[in-house]
Amino acid sequence: MNKNIYILGGEQTDFQRNWAKEGKSFVAMLREVVDDSLAKVDIDYAELNTLNKANDVAAFIGNFAGELYNKQGHFSAFFTEINEAFYGMPCGRYEAACASGSIALEAAINKILSNEIGLALVVGVESMKTVSPSVGGDFLGTAAYYDKEAKGLDFPFPKLFGKLADVALARYKIDETRFMDALAEISTINYANAKRNPKAQTRNWFMNKEHASKRGGEFNMDVGGRICITDCSQVTDGSASVFLASEEYAESYAKKRGISLADIPVIKSWANRIAPLTFDKKVAESKGQPYILPWTRQAVLDAYKKANLSVDDIDLFETHDCFTSSEYVAISAFGITEPGKEHEAIEEGIIDFKGIKPINPSGGLIGVGHPVGASGVRMMLDIYKQVKGVAGDYQVENTKNALMLNLGGSATTNMVFIVGRS
Amino acid sequence: MKEIKTVTILGANGSMGSGSAAILAGFGGMKVYMLARTLEKAKEGITKAVKSIRSDVIIEQMIPGTYESDLEVAIENSDWVFELLAEDYAVKESMLQKINKYKKPGTVVSTVSSGLSISRLAANLDEDGQKNYFGTHFFNPPYKLVLCELVAHPGSDSVLFKEFGGFLETKLRRVVVYTEDKPAFAGNRVGFQLMNEVAQYAKQYADKGGIALMDEILSGYTGRAMGPLATVNFVGLDVHKAIVDNLYETTNDFAHETFKMPEYFEELINAGSLGLKSKVGLYKIEKNADGSKTKFVYNIETREYDICPKFNILFIQEAKAKIGDGDYQGALDIIKNAEGFEAELCRYFLAKYISYSLSLVGEVVETKEMIDMAMGFGFNWVPASALVDLLGGVAAAKEFLKAATVEIPDLLEEAPLDQKFYQINDILDARSLFRSK
Repeated sequence: MNKNIYILGGEQTDFQRNWAKEGKSFVAMLREVVDDSLAKVDIDYAELNTLNKANDVAAFIGNFAGELYNKQGHFSAFFTEINEAFYGMPCGRYEAACASGSIALEAAINKILSNEIGLALVVGVESMKTVSPSVGGDFLGTAAYYDKEAKGLDFPFPKLFGKLADVALARYKIDETRFMDALAEISTINYANAKRNPKAQTRNWFMNKEHASKRGGEFNMDVGGRICITDCSQVTDGSASVFLASEEYAESYAKKRGISLADIPVIKSWANRIAPLTFDKKVAESKGQPYILPWTRQAVLDAYKKANLSVDDIDLFETHDCFTSSEYVAISAFGITEPGKEHEAIEEGIIDFKGIKPINPSGGLIGVGHPVGASGVRMMLDIYKQVKGVAGDYQVENTKNALMLNLGGSATTNMVFIVGRS
Repeated sequence: MKEIKTVTILGANGSMGSGSAAILAGFGGMKVYMLARTLEKAKEGITKAVKSIRSDVIIEQMIPGTYESDLEVAIENSDWVFELLAEDYAVKESMLQKINKYKKPGTVVSTVSSGLSISRLAANLDEDGQKNYFGTHFFNPPYKLVLCELVAHPGSDSVLFKEFGGFLETKLRRVVVYTEDKPAFAGNRVGFQLMNEVAQYAKQYADKGGIALMDEILSGYTGRAMGPLATVNFVGLDVHKAIVDNLYETTNDFAHETFKMPEYFEELINAGSLGLKSKVGLYKIEKNADGSKTKFVYNIETREYDICPKFNILFIQEAKAKIGDGDYQGALDIIKNAEGFEAELCRYFLAKYISYSLSLVGEVVETKEMIDMAMGFGFNWVPASALVDLLGGVAAAKEFLKAATVEIPDLLEEAPLDQKFYQINDILDARSLFRSK
C-alpha cells in the first residue's frame, strides 16, 4: 500500500448529553456533529458543494440499531436533511454492531483508495436513550445471535462478557482475587482518564477503586456473573465524525491553509477479521490455543504487519472496553503481555495514563461512553487527536503511533486501525 | 493554603448538607464530621449522602455527631468548617461564635448562604478567621449541579481565595464562579430577576393564561429545562420571597421594581401553598382514580386551580420543531420575526435577561464568563452570551435589545463586532440547554 489516507480532523458530541431529554432526535445530533466537524477542519458547505459537483466527496454513516431505538432506517439519507450540499452525494449507511463506525471508516478508506473521491466524511451515530435500559439491553442482544444468545435474557451482553472473564480465569488459571482486582483497576483507570476529557459522559461521576472493587449490592449490582455495573460501558447518546482525505486532496488542503502535509496524521494500516458468531463457538474454536480470541489477535497482527510496526512502536491504545473483561484480553492481543499475564501489566501501571503503554487515555467506552454505532469513529477521532497533539488535558506526550481496536458483538467483528505520521 | 483533609459539615441532615458532604467525602476523599441537632438526624444525613452519590464506600469517612456533644472536637480537628444551617443571621452568627472559639488558626470556614451578607457573617470571627472565611454557595443537588459561587468579602485573604477556588475546581470538581459579596451573588440575582418579573407579568396577563401562559412563552425552546414559574414552584415560594425581598431592599439598579414580589405570591405563601414541597403552589398535581395525573395551575383572578391549559401558539410550535432538529439559529430567527403579544413578551424577556446578566459584570463578577457559568451550570439556562451569538452576534443582539426597549449594557455596547461573544463553549455546549418540549 503506497497511498496514504490522511485524517483532517473531526468532532464528537458531548457524550454527557441526553438527547431524548432535550427533545431532540438523532437528526439534531447529526446536524451538530457535521456542523462542528466542518468548523474544526475549516471546510464550509460551499467547499463541500463544489467537491460534490465534481463527484469528489462521499459521506459514510455508521449506525447500529436506528430501526429499534429510533424506528428509523435509511440513516444515510439524513445527510440531505442537514444541508443541500449533500444532495446528490454518494452516501451509505454501514452496520457491524458496535463496530459500525469502523466498518464505515473502512468503506471510506476503500473509496478513497479506488480514486473515486478525494474527501470522505465519516460519521457514527447512535441515540440510545429513547428507551429504558432493559429494553435497550434487549436491542443490544441483536449484536449477538439473538435467538440463541439473547432472547428472553435481561442484559445479555454483560452475561456474554462475564463468560469471557470466566474463560480467562479457567484457561489461564489466574488467582481469582488478583483477576477481579485487575478488572476493578481497569474500570478505575477508565473513569479517572475520563475526568480529563471534556466530552466524556462520566466526567463528573464519582468512582474510585474501592467502589469498583465492592461488587454486588444496591450501588454496584451484578449484571452478568462476574460483571457488575462498574465493569460496564455506558448507555450513551452520541455522535462522532472525521474527515478522511486522499493524498492529493490533503496536499491542496494543506497548501491552502499554510500547513505542512507532514503535520497531518495518516491511517497507517487497518484490519478486519470476523470470528465465529456465538460466544460458545469462539471458545470452542480457540480451545488449546494461547489466545481466547484469536481473531482479535490476528486483526492486531495484520495491522502491525501492514504498517510494518510492532507493539514497541505503539505509544498508546484506544480499546473497546465495552466491559472490563474485553479490555483485559485486549492487553495480550496488542502484545503488551503474553496471554494470561494481562493482570501483571495492570498491576505494574503499564496501561495507566502515565504508563509506558497507556490504554484509553480518553476514558474508553466505560468512561467516555458507548453510543454503539459512533464508538469506532470516536476512537479514530481520539487517536487522531493524540497523534496530532491536540487532545488537550488527555494528551499523551510524544505520541507518534496509536492503535485502536473496535469490536462488534462478542468480539465477532474485530477492527483495528493504526494512526501515525506519514 | 494548608491541605484540607478533615471537614465539619454543620447541617448534615439537610439536602444541601448531605449532598455537599458526599462531594467532599467522595471526590475529596476527606474525613467528614456530619453534625446535626440529633445523632439520628446526623445518621440520616449519611444515608442521604450515600444515596446522592450512589456509593456506600464513603460511609467509613463519615462521623455522625451532634452540635451539643461533638462540635468542639469536630471543629478542632477540621481544616474546613462548612456551615449549611438555616438562612438566618441569628442562627448562623451564634454558630460562628462557637466556631471561632474552637477552630485552629488557618482553618477555612464557609457558609452555603445564597444571599446573606458574607462580610456581616465574617465579623463574628477573629482576624485569622475572617481571612479564611468565604461564601461557598453550592447548588442543589450538588452531585448534579456542579456550580459553586465562591464569595469573597473585604476581610478575606485574596491569595487564599484563589487557592481555595482552585481546590474546589480540581479536587471537588466544581465549576467555580468567583463573586463579590453582593446581594444574592451572581446566579440568583439574574435568575430571580427574571422569575419575579415573569411572575409580575403573569398577573398582568392573568386573563390571557397567566402563570401557565408565561411558562409556555419562556419554555424549553428559549433555553431552559423548566419554565421560570415552574422553577419558582420547584424551589419554593418562601425561598423566592426571601431572595427577592432581600434584592428589593438592598439593590437599586434599573431592575429594582422587578424585584417587588407580586401580591398573589404573598397570599399563596400565607396559605401555606409554597410549591412542590407543600404539594400546592403555583401548580399542583392531583392523582386520578385510574392512577393518571392531572396538572393544575393557579388562576390569579379567581384564586382557584384550573386544569393546566394546552396552548397552541404557532411561532412557539415552529421554534420547538427547529430545536428538535438541532437548528438553533432557525429557532431564534422564528422568535425574532414572529408577530403577536406572546412573541413580544418572549423577546422582551430574552432581551432583559441578556441585558441584566451583562450589566452585573464589574459589580458582582469580573467577567461575563462568570455570569455565563452561573446561569448555565447553576440554573441550566442558556447563558446570555450564547444567546447573543445565536441572535446573530453583537450587532444583531444590540438591535434585538433596542427593539425590545431594553437597556443595552456597556459590555455589549462596546464589544467587538467580529468575534464570538460566548467564550466558554469548551466547558458548556449551550445548545444542550435548549429543549423542544
